[in-house]
Amino acid sequence: MPLAERKSMSDIRHSLLRRDPLSAAKEALYHLDISLGSALQTSGGSGGSPPIEKSSVDLVEEFIFHAPKDNRNVQTKRLSCLQELQLLEIMCSYFQEQSRDGVRHLIFSALFGLQGNQVDDSRMAMLSKLVSMAIAVGRVPILECAATWLQRSHAVCCVRVARVLVDDYCKVVPGSAHTLKQVFNTSPAFCCQFITAVTALYDLSSEDLTPPPALLEMVVDWITEDPRLLLLTFLNTPVPAGSQSRGCLELTPLLGLLRWSVKAPLANQRNRKHALANGHAELEKGAGKGVEYDELYSKLHLSVLQVFLMLQVHLTEKNLIGQLSVLQWEHVVGLVDEVGRLGEELNPLHAAGHVQLALDRLAQAMQVAMATGALLCARDELRPLCSRLPHNNLMQLVMSGPFQPPLYPHIHAPRPTGLPPLPPHTSPLSPHIHSALSPHAHTHTHAHAHAALSPHNTHTHAVISPHAFHPAMGFPYRPIR
Amino acid sequence: MFDGSTMTAMQTTHSHTPQNTYSPHELALEIKAFISGVDQTQGRKLSVRDHARCAVRLLCTVPACRGAVLEHLRGVYDEYVSGFLQDLETEGDNEGGSSMDSNLEDVIKEIHSVLSEFIRLNPKAWAPLVSTWAVDLLGQLSSKHAGRRAAPHSSSLNELLQLWMSCAATRSLMEIYSQCLAAMLAWCPDACVDALLDTSVQHSPHFDWVVAHIGSAFPDTIVSRVLACGLKDFTAHGYPTGAEMTNLQGARASPSPSLAAMDKSNRVPKIGSVVGILGHLASRHSDSIKRELFRMFQDSVCPPSQPPPTTPSGTGAWENSVHLRRAAVPFLLQLIALSPTLLGAVSAELVDSLRPPVLLQLQSQLQGLPREELENLLGLAVHLISQFPAGGAKVLRFLADTATPSSVIISGPSPSPHEGVRESCDRLLQMLLMHLHKLVYNRPDGDEPYAHSSFSSSVPPTARVIPFLEELQSHIADLCGETLRLERKRHLWLHQLLSLLSVYGGPSVATEALCHLLTLARNPEELALASLLHAPLSGSIPRLIPAAVARCVAQIHTQNLSSRELSQLLNNLATAVQSQEEDRKGVGGAASAQAFMSVQVGAAVSNHLHDFCPLLLHGDHAVSRAAARLLSCSQLPRSATPAHILVIARAAVAHFFLALRQRGVGGLRDGGRGGGEAVTYSMRLLSRLAAYSPLTLKAVLQQLVEGALHRGHADLFGGQATGDDTTISPSPVPDLGPSLLDINCKFGTTVNFSGSVWSVFHAGVIGKGLKPPNASPQLDPDRVTQNLQTLLAVTVQCCSSAGVGSGANSSNGSVAGSANGSRFKQSSDEPAPINAEAAKAIAVALVENICPDVTNGELAWPPEEHAKTTVERDIHIRRAFEANPILFHLLRVVAAGRPALCYCSVVLRSLLATLLAHWESSREPLVLDSPWQLQASCLLVSCMGEGQLLPPVLSNVHELFPHLTPFEVRLLLLGIWEYMRGNSPMPQKFTFSAEKGLFYRDFSRDGDVARYMAPIHSVLHKNIDQLGHLCWRFQV
Repeated sequence: MPLAERKSMSDIRHSLLRRDPLSAAKEALYHLDISLGSALQTSGGSGGSPPIEKSSVDLVEEFIFHAPKDNRNVQTKRLSCLQELQLLEIMCSYFQEQSRDGVRHLIFSALFGLQGNQVDDSRMAMLSKLVSMAIAVGRVPILECAATWLQRSHAVCCVRVARVLVDDYCKVVPGSAHTLKQVFNTSPAFCCQFITAVTALYDLSSEDLTPPPALLEMVVDWITEDPRLLLLTFLNTPVPAGSQSRGCLELTPLLGLLRWSVKAPLANQRNRKHALANGHAELEKGAGKGVEYDELYSKLHLSVLQVFLMLQVHLTEKNLIGQLSVLQWEHVVGLVDEVGRLGEELNPLHAAGHVQLALDRLAQAMQVAMATGALLCARDELRPLCSRLPHNNLMQLVMSGPFQPPLYPHIHAPRPTGLPPLPPHTSPLSPHIHSALSPHAHTHTHAHAHAALSPHNTHTHAVISPHAFHPAMGFPYRPIR
Repeated sequence: MFDGSTMTAMQTTHSHTPQNTYSPHELALEIKAFISGVDQTQGRKLSVRDHARCAVRLLCTVPACRGAVLEHLRGVYDEYVSGFLQDLETEGDNEGGSSMDSNLEDVIKEIHSVLSEFIRLNPKAWAPLVSTWAVDLLGQLSSKHAGRRAAPHSSSLNELLQLWMSCAATRSLMEIYSQCLAAMLAWCPDACVDALLDTSVQHSPHFDWVVAHIGSAFPDTIVSRVLACGLKDFTAHGYPTGAEMTNLQGARASPSPSLAAMDKSNRVPKIGSVVGILGHLASRHSDSIKRELFRMFQDSVCPPSQPPPTTPSGTGAWENSVHLRRAAVPFLLQLIALSPTLLGAVSAELVDSLRPPVLLQLQSQLQGLPREELENLLGLAVHLISQFPAGGAKVLRFLADTATPSSVIISGPSPSPHEGVRESCDRLLQMLLMHLHKLVYNRPDGDEPYAHSSFSSSVPPTARVIPFLEELQSHIADLCGETLRLERKRHLWLHQLLSLLSVYGGPSVATEALCHLLTLARNPEELALASLLHAPLSGSIPRLIPAAVARCVAQIHTQNLSSRELSQLLNNLATAVQSQEEDRKGVGGAASAQAFMSVQVGAAVSNHLHDFCPLLLHGDHAVSRAAARLLSCSQLPRSATPAHILVIARAAVAHFFLALRQRGVGGLRDGGRGGGEAVTYSMRLLSRLAAYSPLTLKAVLQQLVEGALHRGHADLFGGQATGDDTTISPSPVPDLGPSLLDINCKFGTTVNFSGSVWSVFHAGVIGKGLKPPNASPQLDPDRVTQNLQTLLAVTVQCCSSAGVGSGANSSNGSVAGSANGSRFKQSSDEPAPINAEAAKAIAVALVENICPDVTNGELAWPPEEHAKTTVERDIHIRRAFEANPILFHLLRVVAAGRPALCYCSVVLRSLLATLLAHWESSREPLVLDSPWQLQASCLLVSCMGEGQLLPPVLSNVHELFPHLTPFEVRLLLLGIWEYMRGNSPMPQKFTFSAEKGLFYRDFSRDGDVARYMAPIHSVLHKNIDQLGHLCWRFQV
């Protein structure tokens, strides 16, 4: 096979060279489809996906992405924008028409998967445009493929794609945000990954990295509509242990969202201060929007807390309580550091209220996370960490809380060896996910969202005390699996 | 949950944008339609217009299509522009061809509104994208359609601008671009101007209108950015290498301007477009260009230790790079060299920015350059300076100031950093002079080597204009003043420059320069500069000195010189003339430049003498003295008209008396030196005038006598200012007398002579007592004597020089004689014979002035009794003698010039008559009791003897007078009268003795003297005890 195959490949290449770039690209895609499809059939669904051949990769690079060949001095013409659009259109229709999921995913990763860890700019740009276009014209298969891609690729690439999408739909073209918003309905999996990527991108560390209002609004709308969205990837990934170390995105956007809600009061204050220093007299507008944003962020915070509670159910179901830390300790340490630094950076006299709000949210989140088993840590560890922060009553309570029952026997135990390592590529997305989402079940809990977040509300405090939420307590969610 | 409130808020914020209500399916169809150009539902081909609409819709809905849509829109714009031009071209033929245009025009409007809305809403995202697109499209459109028939030629920028701005498509693009630029200036100005410049370079002349338009919309930013980009590019391409620089300079030295043009066009590309753009903007925004140029210069040389002040527009970081800073100065020079407009903008104020710290910094920066580059830079700078259209004078002063060593002490063995700067300036200045020299002396040739690329077009080849010199022409006065300060080195430079200027500017400038030098020089050294200047010019400019002198005279006439300058000018001219005389007398053979000039000056001054003579009577004594000096040493021209000469003579005499008076007054002030000099000059002038012609001699003498007798001058010579007409004499008592009106009113009733005007007698007014004694202040007797001597000296000089005509001789004699009063004596020691004609002139003048009427004025004497008829006249004449002691001296002069005394016969007779009357009526025992009459008698008789009206035996009687009684004196005087009656004083009785040069009278022909001797002898007999020793004097 290899010889004949290779020969035919070079024949194909010669025939393609004579064509105009667009039809050549179309042809190359066709050949890739045929060869991968047959390869998939021969491997017979035995679990492992067939390796993509070098010759196919070359073909893709030469005729679809027009990558410059260093060994051959063929003049590589870049496609014009119009041709590029046509190519995108061709790809769109191809993925739409390809009925076999396996082949589709294979082709997608053949086209856009990263070879040799190098980031190909033009390919990334093409992918971003393809996804952007797919969002516009509602091509679900592409979005599904993109979700998988986002899950498997390095965070840097994901962030780039996310940035392009945010730019396209939330910044550049006014009024196009609702197109992106439809993604929630068309492809929740993509939506979840998108949120993860976006929270990784916008970490509020500078003004540029503050989520644009339209994006924030959209994300909050999505989450309030169905908080389970955030756990979609987590639940659909069989054993979430393995993927984390490769520099991919996290399984859940929980940490990112938590960062948003906790740091937002401080970051807003800082941005306003910079704007003042730069002499932009847009205080009126800024103040008005600030109130609006505060509301959004507290909504977001409540949703995150609720998702922690949901998470507890799932962990219990899966018998993973105490074994899997959904919020990683190092990340929490990083978040606490960031909050501390931001608080110092702001003048504590003028920003006392904002600092307190941020600390309240942090304390609440940590308390809930610890109680629900999303964060595995002991109070003794928490204390030295949080003592660096400014004083906060709630935080004080959380740190010096009542006796903690030994709920988590496996804390700091080495990772349980009993779990067998799973094969790396089982089908990552099961077709039955969609039916699992019921976006209309649970509106009663956050009727008084901001009241619940008032720092001195002892009622809230009581509600989220670890004793009140025993793992056995029911929650009105149907487990997804 | 769907949060409705926030959503509606979102919608209201974006309510003005086209609301996209398309379903994904519709969008997919739309994309297909856009790609294929075919309507997907109806299957027909889309029109250009619909296609464009479709594109716009996609732009608003599908972000991924952005690039493609913009690319497609290029075609739409292009289509519109071709249609537009097509219409223009066929406009003359038919009118109805614009249907397609109007169709597309609304699409273009639509596109414009969508894009500008996007930019307004989100400038950060859209402005960079759209600005590059727009500017690129503009470039493409304008160069693509440049060749069209309707498009004007690319050189006519205004027409081009008008055409494109009337085209909706390009105007819309331009507006969009402006909007982008306005938005982007806030955060990334470099990028957008870079793009603009790149496009400008790419579509070179056709794109200029865009740059011009944008530039005038954002002058400050564009200018500073353009400069910064140019600088960066300049550094990137490196300095112009030595070869290129020599090319540039070679363009000057070699006769092929095409080489220079090529050189300019294909070297550093951006500097060309920078020059072009700035040139466009210069017409309206020269201020901001100038400001930016200076800012760049200042930033480049401000010391690196202190960070340059951040300017609002300047975010470019070129100031921070040492390399760029170092390149800034060469870059600016190069830039200016390529554009006369920029040169003009900068030149006027360049010097103001060159403060000492800046200079030091500049020096240290330039020291780092390799030697060859430095040379080139200097050459370029020199060339630029020579092209300065304005501010040249300032530059020159700056250079000279800086290059002049401040003092001897500083330029010691250890050179300070300032010394370095000074030396650089020194070199620069010398190079400048050499360059100018080359330019000036090569100029008249039609095809001379200098043909710089950027100027050869604007200047016709025949008349090379050197702007630097052009401008300096109006500063000649200052230059001359500076030169005359004779500072080390500086005056050499300036002098060289002056001569260059003179050659460049031709006769008028040369004349002006010389004239200034002559006016402003204060001593012979400074005056020498004038002759130094004249020497090289005399060859090329004929009749320079006459023109200069004429100009000086014109200046005098316009009276815009201060009296100090005026006297300087006159003195300088005089010095020049005198040096000629000295040279002629002295070395003679060695005709120096000075002598050469002075000869010409002498000649020129002679022609203008009558113009100078009013100055003799100038109110300022220094001026009048200088004028006297000049006149006294210059030749009277043979061609002068009598009228002129007489005017001069009159003025000269008037000046003489002024000088005498001044000598007295000034004696108190400055030791009499000035006054004495003035008198000396005046005397010399008078004797020159007298020697000139008999006419002038007579005029001068007559004037002198008149002046001496003038009441105003009487006090100078010891006389009294009282004349007959007392009414004019200043009376210390206010005149309270009756007015004529009062008297007339009274007249009818009573005739009362007392106190009337008729009762005025010599002694006073009847009823008012005696006249108050005339209390006019008497002068110091010494000074009176001195004045007398001076007057007599000048008179004698005039008289004696008349026949000889050697003015130099007499003038030298008088110059040698100082003011110690020995002059008179000296000239009588060596008696120059007094000219008879001159003496006669004096005599006539005397008679005219003293004698009030001419009745009985004949020369022959009547019998003594007839004197009764002329009593009134006699008294008048005697009073004149009493009032003016000078008269006796003048009489003596007349007497010396025999036979002139004959003409004074009337005067002598009257005087003698009054004396006779006095002695007759005198009842004094001794004559010594009436001293004046005694002296007058003695002087009269001796005078008559001197004039040979009396034989020596008779004239000796005056020796007896002091020892006699009044009666005896009368006897003797009567005898004299008798003799005179018997032997009338007739000029024809005198004969000329050739060997002595004098007239003599042979008394032997007049009959026996002995019969007149009887009274004398009897008086001798009577007083033999006292007069025995005198008897021998009276032996016939």
